[in-house]
Amino acid sequence: MRSALDKKELSATELTETYLENIAKTDSKIESYVTVTADIAKEQAKAAQELINSGKSSPLTGIPLAIKDNICTEGVKTTCASRMLENFIPPYNATVMDKLNAQNAVMLGKTSMDEFAMGSTTQTAFEKKTKNPYDLNRVPGGSSGGSAAAVSARLAPAALGSDTGGSIRQPSSFCGVTGLKPTYSRVSRYGLIAFASSLDQIGPIANSAEDCGYLLNAIAGFDRHDGTSANRAVPDFTSKCGQGVKGLKIALPKEFFEEGATDFVRKTVLAAAEKYKSMGAELIECSMPSLKYAVPAYFLISSAEAASNLARFDGIKYGHRSEKGSTYGELVLNSRSEGFGREVKRRIMLGNYALSSGYYDAYYGKACALRQEIRAEYNRIFETADVILTPTAPRTAFRIDENITDPKMIYYSDICTVTVNIASLPAISTTCGYDENGLPVGMSIVGKMWDEETIIGVTDTFERNFTKISAKAVK
Amino acid sequence: MDLQTFNQIADLGKLTFSDTERDELLHDMTDIIDIMDTVKNADLVYDPLLDNKNVFINELRKDKAETSFPTEKILKNARNMNNCFVVPKVVE
Amino acid sequence: MPGYIPVIGLEIHAELLTRSKVFCNCSAEFGGDTNSRCCPVCSGLPGTLPVINETAVEYAVKAGFALGCSINKFSVFDRKNYFYPDLPKAYQISQLNLPLCINGLVPIEYEKDGEKHTHNVRINRIHLEEDAGKLTHNDLEGVSLADYNRCGIPLIEIVTEPDIGSAEEAKAFVEKVSLLLKYAGVCDCKMEQGSLRCDVNISLMKPTDTELGTRAEIKNLNSIKAIGRSIEFEIYRQAKALDMGQRIIQETRRFDDNRGETRSMRSKENANDYRYFPEPDILQVNITDDQLEGIHADMPEMPDKRLIRYMSQFGLSETDAGIIIADKEISDFYDDVVMAYNNPKAIANFIISEMMRRINLGEITIDDIKFSPENFAKIVELSESEQINKSNAKDVFRALIEKPETDAESLAKDLGYIISTDMGKVSEVIASVIATNEKAVEQYRNGEVKVFGFLMGQCSKALKGVATSKLIKDELEKALKI
Repeated sequence: MRSALDKKELSATELTETYLENIAKTDSKIESYVTVTADIAKEQAKAAQELINSGKSSPLTGIPLAIKDNICTEGVKTTCASRMLENFIPPYNATVMDKLNAQNAVMLGKTSMDEFAMGSTTQTAFEKKTKNPYDLNRVPGGSSGGSAAAVSARLAPAALGSDTGGSIRQPSSFCGVTGLKPTYSRVSRYGLIAFASSLDQIGPIANSAEDCGYLLNAIAGFDRHDGTSANRAVPDFTSKCGQGVKGLKIALPKEFFEEGATDFVRKTVLAAAEKYKSMGAELIECSMPSLKYAVPAYFLISSAEAASNLARFDGIKYGHRSEKGSTYGELVLNSRSEGFGREVKRRIMLGNYALSSGYYDAYYGKACALRQEIRAEYNRIFETADVILTPTAPRTAFRIDENITDPKMIYYSDICTVTVNIASLPAISTTCGYDENGLPVGMSIVGKMWDEETIIGVTDTFERNFTKISAKAVK
Repeated sequence: MDLQTFNQIADLGKLTFSDTERDELLHDMTDIIDIMDTVKNADLVYDPLLDNKNVFINELRKDKAETSFPTEKILKNARNMNNCFVVPKVVE
Repeated sequence: MPGYIPVIGLEIHAELLTRSKVFCNCSAEFGGDTNSRCCPVCSGLPGTLPVINETAVEYAVKAGFALGCSINKFSVFDRKNYFYPDLPKAYQISQLNLPLCINGLVPIEYEKDGEKHTHNVRINRIHLEEDAGKLTHNDLEGVSLADYNRCGIPLIEIVTEPDIGSAEEAKAFVEKVSLLLKYAGVCDCKMEQGSLRCDVNISLMKPTDTELGTRAEIKNLNSIKAIGRSIEFEIYRQAKALDMGQRIIQETRRFDDNRGETRSMRSKENANDYRYFPEPDILQVNITDDQLEGIHADMPEMPDKRLIRYMSQFGLSETDAGIIIADKEISDFYDDVVMAYNNPKAIANFIISEMMRRINLGEITIDDIKFSPENFAKIVELSESEQINKSNAKDVFRALIEKPETDAESLAKDLGYIISTDMGKVSEVIASVIATNEKAVEQYRNGEVKVFGFLMGQCSKALKGVATSKLIKDELEKALKI
């Protein structure tokens, strides 16, 4: 795409118009966008073209992108797919937006998600409950379901999502695209409406690992507005693309294949491992005993932080303000109860329960100790391995009408992805096969801290040797 | 989870529920707390020093005052009056 | 109150004198138009993150040094969660388990019933946190209005052990802490502006009790006087209740300045379950030994050291030195004046007998003294070199307050205070006085020394601005002996 733009085979405006037309034609079925910013996109494309014409383009100049609706965009509604923020227009830009704007990338619109990023189906969205482009009766995964579906349905060439417990990787897996969760603190979180501060990371979703690398090049780096962002050099994340995997040590933690997957998913991911072996990689079997604690530990940490992060939505400063309530207390109570959906309320309740006096040590304190243990186990595996290979999700995209209400089922579906967030590691999901319904199966490559280059390269090697089956065009 | 605890927790998070919502959530929470309870089996103690990212005082933000935001931008999403956020009268 | 021992602990909140707020770059100055010193971070917009101010941490450490604390080289920030309209994030970033400073000690001195007492108050901890906004109540519209300018001003909370036994001790302690924080240069301690605020925890116990009684907390006291009066009232109230066999309720109370009473604040349900947990948006702060040493070396001269310097270098008495150091601004001014005119004793006398007297009388405040230390030095110098007399020196001082731009010497000249010391004129006047007052001279020479005053008065009148009293006296005595 970059070279087509630079060689002027295609103008930035034509490119943007093509995507806007696709969105106009098919997004009523997919429902991946909460807001389409057509006017802004056209203006940005025009400005980008001028830069290209004068030979001053940056890698993302003129590239259209979709942005998850929990990333603040100045002057453009940022709703978190919640009634609470239905009309919220941020007066400032997230740092990643400033970085994309500095390169004159084009914003197509804001994509749907699970409300406040809590969920893995995009069905908890207040309005746009996104569908899976491979089968409109199935969920796209979540919480970045809108971004993944948009890329999958060719409604954007790439997108930004956010990942707290798998929210980039799992929808990427369900929608047959590639999604990268960078190392915690690699990308500034400033302007990302927080779900769980110690786990959240913004990352790219695209059609290939290499494209993810280009996007990460643009958004990574130290930010003085984020005290947790890492003050370290940003390498070229695509530098290991096309280099093969000869001599690479890939670890397969057995627990992920036992509890973590259906037979078909297990077989498909193991076949991918064999493929890596045939390309010269070495497979190492390993174990992660604390995986059994991963889901509750994740759930405790994320809910506790969420309960606190979401307390600021009181109806006073921004967001839904109830018409009912004559005192401060009543107004806050009613605004929150009307503004938040069921899943969000459930997490706030559990988070406050875990933090409340008398329970803290048993729950939150223990979860923090488990986080340290999970990190230690990853470190041990990385003493001998370069990367880790796991399934991205236990199963492929499920039907919307399956209506899974058992919270145990829902939360354990995150088992393959949450430990990566808990341990602050980078991981990338790509498609490694298709099930009997033609639904994509995703595998994840997990890397060492700060080693996105390797996992992008390893994934790229697989992608170059794999034939993707795109989602059928929606009529 | 008993109703009294439920109500206390709801008050901490400033949430209110209809009876149906409450019964449903009470049921869900009991299930989820079962999951959460498994962490109690882990024989581990949290050590804050292990989470030290080794940031030293001299690496923190320098004390420099910059221009603030225009007041109207701060108040843009709020009900406001006299350049202030409007809150129902607070009785102390 | 016989029969009961008051057990008092204090929590002092002090705003730090940083340029910017503790977690964003908005100005930390006092005041400003409502919501004009706000940004997305301090007004709690979603998506924003706190970034900690180095100087705020450094000032908190300095406060710790000033109050004799140990410094935690590894310090953690926590969230304190509660809903209130002056707290935009619905949590306050504070410190719970690993505060910056712990285990301090502050010696105090105070007078009670005319006797001097000394006492030590232990400091449990000092932690760094952020201030909240301000609410004003609009009765006309029946609403409250929130202004977030103060949100995010760095605040230290100083928590004492329950070592205080009376209103006098509490007042002396707060005064001492204010003095130490001012000397450390970390807080201006203006209680009337709210840059220093105090909460009092108080309970009563009988001498035979082994456990502390139930305590009440009096919130947000904003003057030394209010601290003393509220404690006295609370001792009276609790003693009366206990005498009548009632239980003391653990609660938060407010002091009503007009009535001199504390009253129960409407208790908020669940208000004390703050659900503290480590703040994930702020990394733990580490300080090396070298960095601590650096901060310590950067500490300004503290009052105890300054007292010794005034006594040993300047030769002041302990009383005089004590009076001057008790006010940092005056003491700083004193040092500047001594730099301009090396006569520390005379300057100290003038400051204590004139400047501080006026201040204590309430005629002026230190802020009214806008003229330079050099100008002040000049007044003392003129007086000491007998170019003006002592009472005129005081007049010049007062005149300078009105006209701070003028030069002390030319002002004295304009007022006709400069003494020319014209010996010819002196002899002439004395001769004339002796000549015209024969009878009095006769009486003096016959041993009626009291008439000297009369003669002296005659001379002084005629010699105003020509000679000092001492010179006139000496010359007159000489002349009369002939």
